[in-house]
Amino acid sequence: MHWRIAPQIQARRMIDRKPLYLMTPALAWLTAFMVAPCLMILALAFFQRGIYGGIDYTFTLENIALVFDPLYANIFLKSAFIAGLSATIAVVIGYAAAFAITAAPAKRQAMLLFFAVLPFWSNYLVRTYAWIVMLNREGLIAGAAQWLGYDGELPKMLYTETAVVIGLVYNYLPFVILACYAPLSRLNPEIAEASRDLGGNGWTTFRRVILPMTVPGIATGFVFVFVLSIGNFVTPALLGGGQFQMIGNLVYAQFLTANDWPFGAALSMFLIAIMMGLLTLQTYASERASGARREE
Amino acid sequence: MTQPLLTIRNVRKNFGSVKAIDGIDLDIHENEFFALLGASGSGKTTLLRMLAGFELPDDGEVILDGKDVSQVPPNHRPVNLMFQSYALFPNMSVARNIAYGLEMEKLPKAEIRSRVDEILEVIQLSHLANRKPDQLSGGQRQRVALARALVKRPRLLLLDEPLGALDKKLRGEMQLELKRIQNEFGITFIIVTHDQEEALVMADRVAILKDGRLLQSGTPQEIYEHPESRFAADFIGVMNFFPVTQESGHLRAQDGSTITANTPLESAARGVAAVRPERLHIGGNDRDNSISGTVSAIAYHGLDLQVHLKTPASPDPVLIRLTADVAERAPIGVGDSLTVHWAAKDTRVFAV
Repeated sequence: MHWRIAPQIQARRMIDRKPLYLMTPALAWLTAFMVAPCLMILALAFFQRGIYGGIDYTFTLENIALVFDPLYANIFLKSAFIAGLSATIAVVIGYAAAFAITAAPAKRQAMLLFFAVLPFWSNYLVRTYAWIVMLNREGLIAGAAQWLGYDGELPKMLYTETAVVIGLVYNYLPFVILACYAPLSRLNPEIAEASRDLGGNGWTTFRRVILPMTVPGIATGFVFVFVLSIGNFVTPALLGGGQFQMIGNLVYAQFLTANDWPFGAALSMFLIAIMMGLLTLQTYASERASGARREE
Repeated sequence: MTQPLLTIRNVRKNFGSVKAIDGIDLDIHENEFFALLGASGSGKTTLLRMLAGFELPDDGEVILDGKDVSQVPPNHRPVNLMFQSYALFPNMSVARNIAYGLEMEKLPKAEIRSRVDEILEVIQLSHLANRKPDQLSGGQRQRVALARALVKRPRLLLLDEPLGALDKKLRGEMQLELKRIQNEFGITFIIVTHDQEEALVMADRVAILKDGRLLQSGTPQEIYEHPESRFAADFIGVMNFFPVTQESGHLRAQDGSTITANTPLESAARGVAAVRPERLHIGGNDRDNSISGTVSAIAYHGLDLQVHLKTPASPDPVLIRLTADVAERAPIGVGDSLTVHWAAKDTRVFAV
């Protein structure tokens, strides 16, 4: 289950054989309600902001230039750092979880996967608010610490970068588990046994055989968490408490409070460019990985 | 008698309530090409995995070079296994695959390189050293898997259905190739197969397994000529069976004719007499060990003709193997009446 990646490859192969018109409704839908509005918003990046908000349709590159202003460029870097950190932590935890699931008896794996993905079916806001309940000064964690006899000062947990990272990791973990589970469950167990048979211990077998063979899953999981995190504005707003901004919050503010749609559009354009770039890279990489395997 | 390289003593292994290995004793000697032969579920693969260290026996001992290795993990045994799926590392080139086991031994780089080059020569794949496994044909992959196990110079090389995935022609070539390599390296080979022909062609000795037990072991010739059970007789080569009853020391077939054998049917009134197709000769009315019937089919096999004879003496058609020159001298057609006979020494009898 490579989530979006495998269907894309399949779709591309199907074009060779299946009639193209079957795709028309979906394409039309996407074009009319997704691609066109997006392009219209993005086009705003090249116009000036009207004096009282609104748009002044005069061509300008100022908005684009403003993105590179150190103030905003730093927010980009900060967002990339938070997203990268979240993705890294999610991959480590998710890979371990997926590994443990594949080690369970085949009958139990479906159930374990179900539980791993279960939080995903509940509302994003509810899940994020749940972390507020956990992390605030009178929250569950503080209460648990007290109950265990700790009466010192607890570090501030809610409304910190750490809280944001925790929230992002928690929310996107199911993606990573699924993305890593797919290649892990497809591994021929005899390959790991071969490594043992040839004298490799458990760690060497993992490092030299299992890990390299499951890199596509790791890459998919990482890119997903990164892309979803870098543009996220709910989690930073709720768990970061306005202490710091990520790009998502900045875009949100431009459109909804500052009323500067052109600058918001310019920021979005760069955000989308980063996401598209990463997704393309990752699609290309996993296509090449599976392509090499198909070659004969 | 020198000490055997490998002694399997009263080994047992259960999976839940299934007795995969139900008390097996076996000695295997240095330099032998040994085949474990059995149908699926006979326990042959479990036994092989036990020798590799992937299954631990519930009971009994596996003694290699005089040391009990029953509980030694796979990476600490001087034993290598060539997996049925070959299990090549897809992320490594042919050369890296072969070098892997030597790197685990922490040998110097120069030695690893020369040993990899040397074994690539032996399997004639030097020109493909940098290919990835998925760029190889099935036969090439099989040879890489063999080289990867062989390059470690194990005391014991285990092969799990090594030729199963190859087509028939390639299989024939590889049978001889495996034997040549085993000879050249002087390493003891234990091969698991369900293909009796494979076992007969390659192995010095064969063990027939059934339901986790050892039915019979011996050279292919011993088992072929002197099967100790109906199962062994049926499993190795082709065999004709005639249901018989024993009356005052004589064996009587279903059609009333008398069958004689050098070994009597022990303490049983009912049994089967068994004769190999190539032991049947045309002619011989009115004597013991003769069967008459109608030719129901003739199959041409190049060197010989296989004639199916429908006879009241047996529920299944009797198979007769005639060499081409015999068939030429006395042409036979479908529907012809035919009588065949055989010598008493060629009769095997089994109780049922």
